[in-house]
Amino acid sequence: MLVEFELIERARRGDDAAFNQVVQAYRKRILGTIARLIGRPEDVDDVGQEVFLRLYFSLDQLRAPEVFEPWLYRLTVNAAYDYLRRQKRRPETRMSDLSEQQVMMADAAAGGKFQTEETRRAKIRERVQSLLGHVSEEDRILLTLKEVEGLSLKELEQVYKVNENALKVRLFRARQRVLKAFESEEK
Amino acid sequence: MNNMDDKLQSLWTEYREACPDPDASPDFMPEMWRRIDARRQSATSWFRRWAEVCVVAAITAALVMSTVVIPSYLRQPVYEASYVDVLNAAETSADGMAVLVGDIE
Repeated sequence: MLVEFELIERARRGDDAAFNQVVQAYRKRILGTIARLIGRPEDVDDVGQEVFLRLYFSLDQLRAPEVFEPWLYRLTVNAAYDYLRRQKRRPETRMSDLSEQQVMMADAAAGGKFQTEETRRAKIRERVQSLLGHVSEEDRILLTLKEVEGLSLKELEQVYKVNENALKVRLFRARQRVLKAFESEEK
Repeated sequence: MNNMDDKLQSLWTEYREACPDPDASPDFMPEMWRRIDARRQSATSWFRRWAEVCVVAAITAALVMSTVVIPSYLRQPVYEASYVDVLNAAETSADGMAVLVGDIE
């Protein structure tokens, strides 16, 4: 937990200053997760604000401060999923745009080392986004949370409110699809 | 297969490193509070409108009841005869209850 339970409890009771502190504590982490889920940097702030807006109006439904983080992740996943549904565009296209933009930025930069490093990162981003394009939006989010964000099955169980076995099956299938695409790329 | 699994696993790690947590823009907090206030106001105005509709409906119902429904009930006497008439009728006639409904005067 990045904040004390007492702060969440105060925010839940309607203390705006406490809510502000909660947002500031979780903002960077949540924005990072959103960036990796939606793959479009210019919209990360917008989706992030939507997450905290939903949090503000649903805090009174939070049963206990202990489940705050899974609750926040659930809101993040829902907001990212809503965004992706609204966009209706495949992420690999977006990431291609992004990498091009970043390569241009890197070109403009004077340091050659920075350019090489940024180009390498852009390629990795593009490659992973392309691999994730082989699974549905739901599975893409699930895989990202598990493999990239590092959430445990127990945490995912709380986020998705489904049992561990169902999650394992879904993760296995999604991972197999990505692995198959990865293998064919490697050959 | 295991080799591929390991490679994919390291690709996830590299991806995590290639996408660091971004910093929020300076407008992030003001814009978030602006959106919260806008939602709060729209919720309040919706509640106010709903409350107004309820008040108007209640006043209309009260007016209808006070001008139409209640007077029409008041105009209809429950019994045609008084209590004394009923007792008299009961003494003189076995059909005392007929006085109640106005069959016997």
